[in-house]
Amino acid sequence: MVLDISRAADMRGIAATADGLRIGALVTHSELVRSPLVREFAPVLAEAARTIGAVQTRNLGTLGGNLATGVPSMDSGPALLALEARVTVAGPRGTRTLALGDFFVGPRRTALATDELLVDVVVPAASLGKPASFLKFGLRKGQALALVNVAAAVRVDPDRRAFVAPRIALGAVAPTVIRAPQAEAFLEGRPPTSEAMAEAGRIAATEARPISDFRASADYRRELVSVLARRALAAACARAQGAQ
Amino acid sequence: MSALRITVNGREHVLSAPPETTLLALLREHLGLTGAKLGCDVGDCGACTVLVDGQAVNACLMLAAQADGRSVLTIEGLATPDGLHPLQEAFERHAALQCGFCGPGAILSAKALLDANPAPTGAEIRDALAGNLCRCTGYTKMITAVHAAAQALRGAGAEMPPLGLTASPSIPLPGGEKGGGLS
Ligand SMILES: Cc1cc2nc3c(=O)[nH]c(=O)nc-3n(C[C@H](O)[C@H](O)[C@H](O)COP(=O)(O)OP(=O)(O)OC[C@H]3O[C@@H](n4cnc5c(N)ncnc54)[C@H](O)[C@@H]3O)c2cc1C
Repeated sequence: MVLDISRAADMRGIAATADGLRIGALVTHSELVRSPLVREFAPVLAEAARTIGAVQTRNLGTLGGNLATGVPSMDSGPALLALEARVTVAGPRGTRTLALGDFFVGPRRTALATDELLVDVVVPAASLGKPASFLKFGLRKGQALALVNVAAAVRVDPDRRAFVAPRIALGAVAPTVIRAPQAEAFLEGRPPTSEAMAEAGRIAATEARPISDFRASADYRRELVSVLARRALAAACARAQGAQ
Repeated sequence: MSALRITVNGREHVLSAPPETTLLALLREHLGLTGAKLGCDVGDCGACTVLVDGQAVNACLMLAAQADGRSVLTIEGLATPDGLHPLQEAFERHAALQCGFCGPGAILSAKALLDANPAPTGAEIRDALAGNLCRCTGYTKMITAVHAAAQALRGAGAEMPPLGLTASPSIPLPGGEKGGGLS
């Protein structure tokens, strides 16, 4: 049986609410790229959506579909994980809210029961406008899945000159999209120097659990994590300092 | 069976088709419009690209039922009795197609781009064509043709740029260089 959900009105649309930015599961990648709300409050999500497939893929593919696949290389996962997004899931037993990190269960497996739908994604108010960056490395520039993708979101306290609540999320290097909690803990409270960010990249690489496949070896992916995490942190940090 | 009311190339069709019918199968097998090609059938090659409500989509990945109530443009709907569309003319003039298999899709992707952005940069044209794989002509002439068609559509000179002088833009990094080419 085919169940077409593409016209469920309450799963569409992007809105600023008291809880944060609510994004319906049926919002397409193209809509994310164009959305003035996303570009203002969570531009890293538009950056990630922009790299998904080609125009045709972005016009049809939805954010909810991308997350519900549970594919570890998905591009919206790291951006949303770095912003500590929550998801709303609904089914015959009612509606529940989960941290996105708990929604991902394993490769191509999510917390969705077979009779449940992903309704929306909420970027919490505390993360709106948080300086962030998304980087993806694929085998080609256009229409390629990530060998590794990384998102970083940071605040920098201008008085203490210190990282506050740094968040690093990694894709395609573990059974699910993951955070890099040790690298985050290392940065917390530290001055935003290039040495600190390089070290955080190296720590993140040890937290990755990549596999070798026909596209890249595990070692190569680990090296990519180290480099991309450092660069994503530096870009997020520059945005944080530019905003001050 | 799904009951469908779909406007294709300006003409409304009332049809019924099994629910698993893709938009591509509907166009090719039910309506006899074979311009959109069945290539990879998994959304990679773009040979099946059509415009649905003006947006480029892979017809192989869209169910016909999802196009119910919408307006579809295929390559067959582009030319008028008066002549080819400026994009078709430019593709012909700049020899942007050899075997032609990817042509209907590439031209429709370019149309969606030019409808939204009448003066695209080289980087924007490359991005718009990234989902249309060509394996014989290559992309350089297509990019030149899209620039030329954009210029023709803007009315910036009734003449097409002379052949050979429409220097192909160098390949920039994605999201990096804006510009290049003739824009
Ligand atoms: C050529 C091509 C290139 C691609 N490139 C990339 C890329 O670079 N990066 C990337 O991240 N992805 C990429 N993708 C993957 C794809 O675009 C996304 O995963 C897309 O977002 C899926 O969305 P959809 O709406 O089409 O979902 P569908 O394909 O319709 O659904 C995917 C799965 O999720 C389930 N599902 C969908 N929506 C919901 C919901 N709301 N609640 C519960 N379950 C749901 C479906 O039942 C199905 O099992 C690519 C795909 C193609 C075809």
